[in-house]
Formats: sequence, structure tokens, C-alpha cells
Amino acid sequence: MENEDFDRLLRICRLSLEKGEKAKIKHEIDGIIEYFNTIDGVDCDKYSPSYHPIDIPSKRRKDEPEQFPDVGKLLRNSKIYRFFIVGPKI
Amino acid sequence: MKGGIEEFLKTEKFEGYYEELIVELEKLNSKLHIFSNINKGLSTGLPFSVKDNICVKDVVSTASSQMLNGYTPPFNATAIERLPKEEFGFIGKTKMDEFGFGTFGINCKDHPLNPFDDRYVTGGSSAGSAVATAVLKHHISIAESTGGSISCPAAFCGIIGFTPTYGLVSRYGLIDYASSLDKIGVMGRSSADIRYVFDKIKGSDRYDTTCVDHPISKESRKKLVIIDQLMAGVDEEIASSFDRTIGKLQNIGYYVEHKSIPFIEKTIPAYYIASMAEASTNLAKFTGFKYGLKINDFSKGYNDFFTEARNNFGLEAKRRIVLGTFVRSSSVKSKYYEKALRLRHMMINALGVILKDGFIISPTMPIKTPTVKEAEDFDPVKEYSIDSITVPPNFAGLPHISFPSDYIKGMPVGTQIVANHFNDYALLDFVERWESQFEYRFKYNVGAL
Repeated sequence: MENEDFDRLLRICRLSLEKGEKAKIKHEIDGIIEYFNTIDGVDCDKYSPSYHPIDIPSKRRKDEPEQFPDVGKLLRNSKIYRFFIVGPKI
Repeated sequence: MKGGIEEFLKTEKFEGYYEELIVELEKLNSKLHIFSNINKGLSTGLPFSVKDNICVKDVVSTASSQMLNGYTPPFNATAIERLPKEEFGFIGKTKMDEFGFGTFGINCKDHPLNPFDDRYVTGGSSAGSAVATAVLKHHISIAESTGGSISCPAAFCGIIGFTPTYGLVSRYGLIDYASSLDKIGVMGRSSADIRYVFDKIKGSDRYDTTCVDHPISKESRKKLVIIDQLMAGVDEEIASSFDRTIGKLQNIGYYVEHKSIPFIEKTIPAYYIASMAEASTNLAKFTGFKYGLKINDFSKGYNDFFTEARNNFGLEAKRRIVLGTFVRSSSVKSKYYEKALRLRHMMINALGVILKDGFIISPTMPIKTPTVKEAEDFDPVKEYSIDSITVPPNFAGLPHISFPSDYIKGMPVGTQIVANHFNDYALLDFVERWESQFEYRFKYNVGAL
């Protein structure tokens, strides 16, 4: 993988790496992609992609609002202002 | 050992039983680093532990990641909610490879150590769950497997690890790694205990649309199939031990056939492509303001804010996020991600033909338990390749069990048996039969009555 492609991927993933860490991961990722390429030779085009390993019947539930028993607990993992979760600027 | 849980529940405990158990367990925890937290208030029921990526109400659940530091779920995972409170008592959260990313159980802070010899790894990613099961006499652990995270540590720690058919146990309340691969399962010291717990936690769930209410069969098989490609690269001592296990099984009426699936070794890279693709999307939600870890400098724009927060992922998590994002890129999606899923379809068909009238049997792991130092020196591709035997049933969503079958120089060795989708009870019957003529060994029996 070219360095600029790698940098682009990091930006998409919202990840930053220290200089030493970056070289190490880049080198390892090149090796892993080479490993991934070994599936190239397998002839499986006649099979459809298996998004689940078993057949899963389509299940729906009614779109009805439910009261969560303890709303305070839902918000305790965030910084909150009144009943809003505070996040970064967009 | 049959009916261990029921017997334990019926037995009157001496005064101070639970207090003594906790004291002893805390001592052992400081040596083997099993739990991220222990419930000191345990006072009733059979102790059960929970892998740290499964939510327990009001208990910090982090999947052993700094990224979820302090996250305290306000609800129980369905598998936990279904354990009757009058029978089971929560004893603690067990350590694991961060988000399930690891084969050896060493990818977290103060990682667990092997209970047979603490110079060795426990296997991962359900590392602490396996150790807890190996040290506690009366206990079960609710664990989870994506590509071998129950079988591998079960084999290295000398306990039984059961991974049910995909979809039989609800994933609601599981901190996802790869949604089409994650399966909540059970670790225990006997097939009877595992069956008892599995019967409580299985079944469809309105909170998980991939969870099914399918009849579970117990169609026994006398034919045991060895897939030759899975034996390639197996350590010589493990192979000899496996031959001895096969001999014992032949003595109790099983027979063996060999089959070939030439492409099966390609399921390892295909599995890693699919699992990393799913992991990279599942981990996108961790951005530093909703789940535990908080970055409080809200003057930053969201790109900088998220990037700073996501620095808290460990190296392996970062590697998998990058690779997962790469294989989903529009320019290469059909070459990697879709091809991996086509390969899974082909493999499910090939394994399904074999499993119509047989079980697939193999050593659980191709290598003897490595020391911590040896495991640390593995490069990523070598580490991924070690999953060669546990990945195929996991990738195909097939039920499988690893059970202790031998001891080499004092360290346990596991054998893995795989059945067809929804034939889970047949596997438990098989292991029960094995237990009638093989005695498991444990170094610790904390909480013995």
C-alpha cells in the first residue's frame, strides 16, 4: 500500500499513529494484505455472498415507544447538559 | 460430575462460605489476573462469571479496552437476564483480549496467566473466563466466540468450551466485534453444567433480530471425520496425543474417516477479511463522548475530537480498523469482502455434506500452549494462522466444543468436535460420553464444599 493511501485510510478511520507506530503498522498491514490476497485463486464465484451463516427469517416488531425504566442511567456514560448528551462541534 | 449445578444448589453451604470463597479468589486474582472486578457482595447461588464484553447491569463493562474505560451499562445482556436469580450469583467480569482481538489472551493490561503454569498463556480471547473456570470448583462462565475465542482458551486451560450454533443465544448486550460471527457460549467443568446453563440462555429474543427459535436436535453420530488439511502443520506431540484420543474413542464405538477440503486453509484469510470489515464498522461508534471514556475538550471540531479519543484503542484494534476499512473500500470490496463471504458460503456447503452423517474432529489448537514470551514474539500473520482449526466452524456458525483430552508435561490439551447447525445437544451428549471414561485434572478447586 502506498504511503498516501495509508494516510488517507487513517483519516477515514479517525486514527492517528505515532511515527514509530505508523511504520510498524504499515509494514504489518502490507504483510497481512499479501496474506489476504491468497484467496484470489479460490473459485467460488458461483456462490452468493453469505451475509449470515444461517438462514435468518425476517423479524419485525411493532414500532411502539417504550418507557426505559431508568433514563438517568442511560445518560450516565456521557457528559450531559440538562437531558442532552454533550458532543464536539460539527 | 454429572448434575454438578443441581447438586451444588441442593447442598447446604457452611457459614461464611461465600466470604471465604471471595477472599481466596482475590488472592488468586492478584497472581493470575483473572477478573477486572470481583463482586464482593456475592452471597447466594452458583457463582457465574461474565466475559468483559457482555453487559451486566450497573457493572463496569469495557471489553478490556481503554476506549470503554468506566462504561457502566444500565441493562443486562439477554443471556445474563435469563439466568434465574435464585440459582446463579454474579461473581465478576473476566479479562479478555481487547474487543476479542487476540489468540493468546495477552492483548490487554495485566493479562491473565495460565492456571497450570503461569509462565504460559491462557489462550484468548475469553482468557479470564477460561481461567476462572479452571480455578473455581463450582462455577460457570458466560463467554463469547468470534473465531475461536471459546475453544482456544478452553484447550489451553483444560476446561470445556461450548460455542453454540450462530443465532441460538441472543447477542443483545454484547459489545460487538463482528455481528455475523459473534456467538455467546458457555465454559464449564462438565457437559452437564454447560447443558444446564445453555438451556436457560438460548432462544429467540425480540431485542436481537438475528436470534432464532429453532428446534435443537441431538442426532448422535458414530462417524468421526478428520479433515486432512486441518492436520497439516499440527505439532508432532499434539498429533500423537490426538491419535491416542482417537484410539480411546474407537474403544467406545466410534469410527474414523478421512476427508479432504482443499480450500479450507483459505478460510483463515477469508475469516479475517470478513471479521475485520465488520469490526471496523462496529467500532466506529466509539468516539469519546457516549460510551465511558470522555474527552472533555469540546472546543475541538469533531474530526480532531474523535481522532484524539480513538487514540485509546490498542495497537491490534487500530490495525483491524484500518484493514477492515480497507477491505470495504469500493475499489476492492468485491476482491476481498464479497469474495470472503462467497468463500464462506462454499465452505458451509462443503462442511454440511460431511456433517450430515458425521462429526468433524481435530485437535483444538495446532500447537502446544506457548509461553507468554513466545506468544509476544508472534507476528500478526503467524498469530492469525494459529486459528486454522477453530476458524472454520466459527466462520460457518457451526456448533462446536473443545474438551480436555490429554495432558502433555502437565499442560492440558484439547480436542474439538463440530456438529451440523442446530445439532448442539448431540455435541453435549458426545462429551458426556467422553467424560464417562476420562478424568479431567484441575490444579485449583476454589470454593470446594
